[in-house]
Amino acid sequence: MRATIRCGLMLAFAAMFIGISLPVAAQESPYFVTYSHHLEQPGNLDVEFNPVIGTQRGGNNYLAGTTEFEYGVRAWWTTEFYLDSQSTFGDSTLFAGFRWENRFRPLMREHWINPVLYVEYENLGGADKAMIEVVGFDNESDFAPRNSELRGETKHELETKLILSSDFKGWNISENFIAEKNLSGEPWEFGYAAGASRPFRLEATPRPCNFCRENFLAGIEFYGGLGTAKNFTTSGTSHYAAPILGWQLPSGVTLRVSPGFGLNQNSHRLVLRWGISYEIAGFGRRLRRLFR
Amino acid sequence: MSRLLLPASLLLISLIAVTGAARQQAVAERHVHPELAQVPAETRDRKNPYEGQADAVLAGGKLYRQHCAECHGNDARGMGRAVNLRSRAVQDATPGELAWILRNGNLAAGMPSWSGLPEQRRWQIVSYIKSLR
Repeated sequence: MRATIRCGLMLAFAAMFIGISLPVAAQESPYFVTYSHHLEQPGNLDVEFNPVIGTQRGGNNYLAGTTEFEYGVRAWWTTEFYLDSQSTFGDSTLFAGFRWENRFRPLMREHWINPVLYVEYENLGGADKAMIEVVGFDNESDFAPRNSELRGETKHELETKLILSSDFKGWNISENFIAEKNLSGEPWEFGYAAGASRPFRLEATPRPCNFCRENFLAGIEFYGGLGTAKNFTTSGTSHYAAPILGWQLPSGVTLRVSPGFGLNQNSHRLVLRWGISYEIAGFGRRLRRLFR
Repeated sequence: MSRLLLPASLLLISLIAVTGAARQQAVAERHVHPELAQVPAETRDRKNPYEGQADAVLAGGKLYRQHCAECHGNDARGMGRAVNLRSRAVQDATPGELAWILRNGNLAAGMPSWSGLPEQRRWQIVSYIKSLR
């Protein structure tokens, strides 16, 4: 596990070292949980830090987060590596595990609805609280025990998603269907995420600007669990609605914030997410040059 | 009159030959960018709503530097697999064809789809590309 952290830190430093002067504005979607069909540009590396504060009934509030390295392998294939960590107030701080995901666009053209196939391997401790998806009967009470109890559990999971996404008159509308399998043999768990977003202004202004409306996006996303293969249901699990605000700076930095509100008693009352990401253009090309 | 007939005929034949050769060259260059041939007929003739607007060229230039220059170069002459946007094939393409390619990309050849940019911004980029002629 230490090697994984070291590897992540080295990647982050390499990214900063190689790409610090090579910013590029990407077509980032503002979502935290939902995926759209827009993949990373080939050869670009997007480094993201997405913290989340969650309120907790029957336990301590927490600060969790993911550090993400998203790389465009091909125009139709994006790979992403996550490091999860969390700090529970009045308890402890710990590294919660890692994830490695791949997204593929099977169709080479734009359609009304654009599918993307998503496959992820997760190696996460029971104390992971980043909650970048909700599946099965995920519940607020799962996070209530102390870290010392939660950290003993390690989950090896395979997560798949069918991402459907459309762009229409400046809007992006995306729906994700999630199926997750604990490789130790538990039944498949299901979940959903859906989002809609739009820039404040569709046209670009002639001059570079940081505060003009074209750089801001707003949207909303909904996500929650759908039970398991044995009990497919929307009850007994948690559901959230989360408005989002994004600000894409021409320098390649994107800032986002999203307060998520629990929609039933199984959900955290508030899940406040924010994120900063930095797009490094031509990362792959420059990395290859280092080894030539 | 009959004296003028021969030179006039020769001039006409030369004109036809030159025009034909130019068209053949254009067809050959279009073949260099086969993606252009894939553009559906109904989108090929779409007009750029920003045509002739100087502000659209400026805005398109700004967007070009943000999104496209990394691959196509600051001078738009192309780098590696990225196409030279000042080439005849690109400059002869209709605005509708360029807008279609921006929206769909050419995923197999490494060009991403830019459908995440609003349509208005894609047209502004088309205005800029056309201004490079």
